[in-house]
Amino acid sequence: MSKRQLAMVMDLNKCIGCQTCTVACKTQWTNRNGREYMYWNNVETYPGDGYPKKWMEQGGGFDAAGDLQDGIIPNIEADYGVPWDYNYESLASVNVLGNDADKDGYSIKGAETPGLHPTTEPTWGPNWDEDEGAGNFPSDNYFFYLPRICNHCTNPGCLSACPRDAIFKRDEDGVVLVDLDRCQGYRYCIAGCPYKKIYFNPKISKSEKCILCFPRVEQGLPPACAQQCVGRIRFVGFLDDEESQVYKLVHKHKVALPLRSDYGTQPNIYYIPPTESPAKFDAEGKIIEGSTRVPMEELEALFGKEVHGVVEKLKAEQKTRKETGKSEILDLLIAFNHSEMFRLDNNYYQEVAKAKGQSPLAPVDTRYVKGKHTKVAFGGGHH
Amino acid sequence: MKTDKTIKTLLATSLVATMAIANPSITAVKVDDSIDLSKVSNDDKVWSKAKRANIALYPQTTIKMNDKNANKINAKNFAKDAKILAVYNSNNVAFKIDWKDASENKADITTSSDVYADGFAVQMPTNFSDPKKLPYIGMGSKDRPVLVHLQKATATHYEPNGNKDVSLQVNRHQTNTFEKELAAFDKNVSDAAIKDYQRAYISEGFRSMTQIRDKDIAFNMNMSYNKGSWSATMSKALKDGYLDLTKSGAVPVAFAVWDGAKLGRDGIKNLSTWVAVDFEGKKGNEALVTELTAKVEGDAKAGKALTDTMCASCHSYADKVAAMPTMAPNLSNIGGYSTAAYLVESIKDPSAVVVAGYNRNAHKNTAWYTLGAKGERVSTMPPMMSDDKQIADTVAYLMTLKAEVK
Repeated sequence: MSKRQLAMVMDLNKCIGCQTCTVACKTQWTNRNGREYMYWNNVETYPGDGYPKKWMEQGGGFDAAGDLQDGIIPNIEADYGVPWDYNYESLASVNVLGNDADKDGYSIKGAETPGLHPTTEPTWGPNWDEDEGAGNFPSDNYFFYLPRICNHCTNPGCLSACPRDAIFKRDEDGVVLVDLDRCQGYRYCIAGCPYKKIYFNPKISKSEKCILCFPRVEQGLPPACAQQCVGRIRFVGFLDDEESQVYKLVHKHKVALPLRSDYGTQPNIYYIPPTESPAKFDAEGKIIEGSTRVPMEELEALFGKEVHGVVEKLKAEQKTRKETGKSEILDLLIAFNHSEMFRLDNNYYQEVAKAKGQSPLAPVDTRYVKGKHTKVAFGGGHH
Repeated sequence: MKTDKTIKTLLATSLVATMAIANPSITAVKVDDSIDLSKVSNDDKVWSKAKRANIALYPQTTIKMNDKNANKINAKNFAKDAKILAVYNSNNVAFKIDWKDASENKADITTSSDVYADGFAVQMPTNFSDPKKLPYIGMGSKDRPVLVHLQKATATHYEPNGNKDVSLQVNRHQTNTFEKELAAFDKNVSDAAIKDYQRAYISEGFRSMTQIRDKDIAFNMNMSYNKGSWSATMSKALKDGYLDLTKSGAVPVAFAVWDGAKLGRDGIKNLSTWVAVDFEGKKGNEALVTELTAKVEGDAKAGKALTDTMCASCHSYADKVAAMPTMAPNLSNIGGYSTAAYLVESIKDPSAVVVAGYNRNAHKNTAWYTLGAKGERVSTMPPMMSDDKQIADTVAYLMTLKAEVK
């Protein structure tokens, strides 16, 4: 357990699935160098298979006794979705209507498809099942968006699975990082993470994951996904900082819950469960008064039994707000001022760096910065 | 057919190796200094001078990894037979290792998240003056470091290298270049790749394994696949910044191989015990050779009874699976990759060598050690026996715990 813990709260009532967070993360970190297929931040449709495909069924995490469970390592093509490219080169030389078209312009069977097309036939990808959800349209179909990043767990499955001590949790803020100098690309971390939020980079043959934008955070900026969020659904702050909105939502009002805490990793990304969904229609297409489409069992599966109390509390708070015009919880969730959603305490990191004599903080596990027997520490380059 | 005969002979030899309690040693034949062993290849004619030793490589079963698919595939592995040749001169020592592998796995790593390369490793202790206190076979132990030389068949890969070639990391379609310029970009990317996955590590137990990145270690490895077998060589300077063998008459060496088809990497491997490599015609370290080739004296039958009553509640082995699997090192192949001296030491003084084991977070209720006042590891196993006869019998039985060679 780290001394302090940086955490995020995401309000699922306000997520519109626009993927701006996904793009913010991708352009910042994962659009290059073997990370092309990775989405450190993704927004999936729930119910749905998610990303990677059926991640909830792929093992990892801990059982009730606290023992790490076996898991599997997903396949890029089948489970993540291979990031396909297009035949740009051939466009320069090939007639876009198709050199292989017959006189009527139809493609000749067996010939290369004319025009711009993917170089590999995609069979799966993130958001392959976007907006499908469950139930029957129009009577009772439903879905909501579930944005996911690494949970920077207090008891990380990835860290526990690594036989090389290559994953560490920063003492100053609980951010879970891979020490790329130590990582040997074994991928047990991927099997150990029940959220499948750590990825194998095939180009460098090492594992990589969401870093909670620590270089930004250390400078007082929120993670890119949170800053770019157009719906203002993301709060970022320290869990022990009573002034932070994260603290208020998680500890003071207790309306934010972790995702699948039954995995036993003590995740530090919290969610305001979705309370709003339209009423169902009956066979005649009439509204069933008082009905709600998102089944509570689904929410219970994701957020545990506590979700019932939280949904009741949020609904009661809405009522109070309507009647009295006052509600601290709703004021927080409305997020009048974007910058107030983040409390990162820039001076804190400066003090930590000063105390450690590092500026900026070393992005490696300091336990092994100087190997007992090795003469060159981190940064020596490969042989 | 001649080949069939060779195979039959091999099978017979390996079977004998399994049955015999004494371990074979490897004789390194002295060759002329004019031969540059540092660049020796698999088909070098120098190997015709060497004497073959058959060394069994046992499946690592002490700890279980958390990869569900790999565990399924590797549940009932046999030991592998490795044919080992060794030569040396005043400058270098070189090994040739041949082992069977049904498929060549090079792990085309550019597009795959779940494929693994075949590979092999050669391990040596940095200090072996006391042959009864060699480092733990699983990448050394506290104050008993080992050098690990690793070669994987992994194809091209890249590493963060500090060479400021970040511009080569972008997707080729994001480069604003076409045709000739794009081809030049592709070439620059390809040139920046590491084509040889050859690494050296120093380690005091597998969790602490740290890559050696300085130039003070001098070795060379290569491996090639041909018709169902890998042929590999490893050559090493007799003296480098980490190990000086110039005054040694023998050195303990351990070998390991990985099978990519079985999702092998890290602990999912086959490994040998410490094998004495005897530098022919060179004096010194006679005690080491004696220790590592000695027959284990003891009554294995009596030892089985002792083991079943005193060990089985924490350790799993053979048909004994009563203990919680994460409770203690699994002993199923302990006889294959342990020396008798290590077993004796561990029974008498379990904290002398504490196996690094699982991450302490992974199985909190079954920690293999506690931390002492100075952060030292204290084994959760109490000293079990003090009677030398009992210990000898137990060790004689433990040495029979190993998979069959196939």
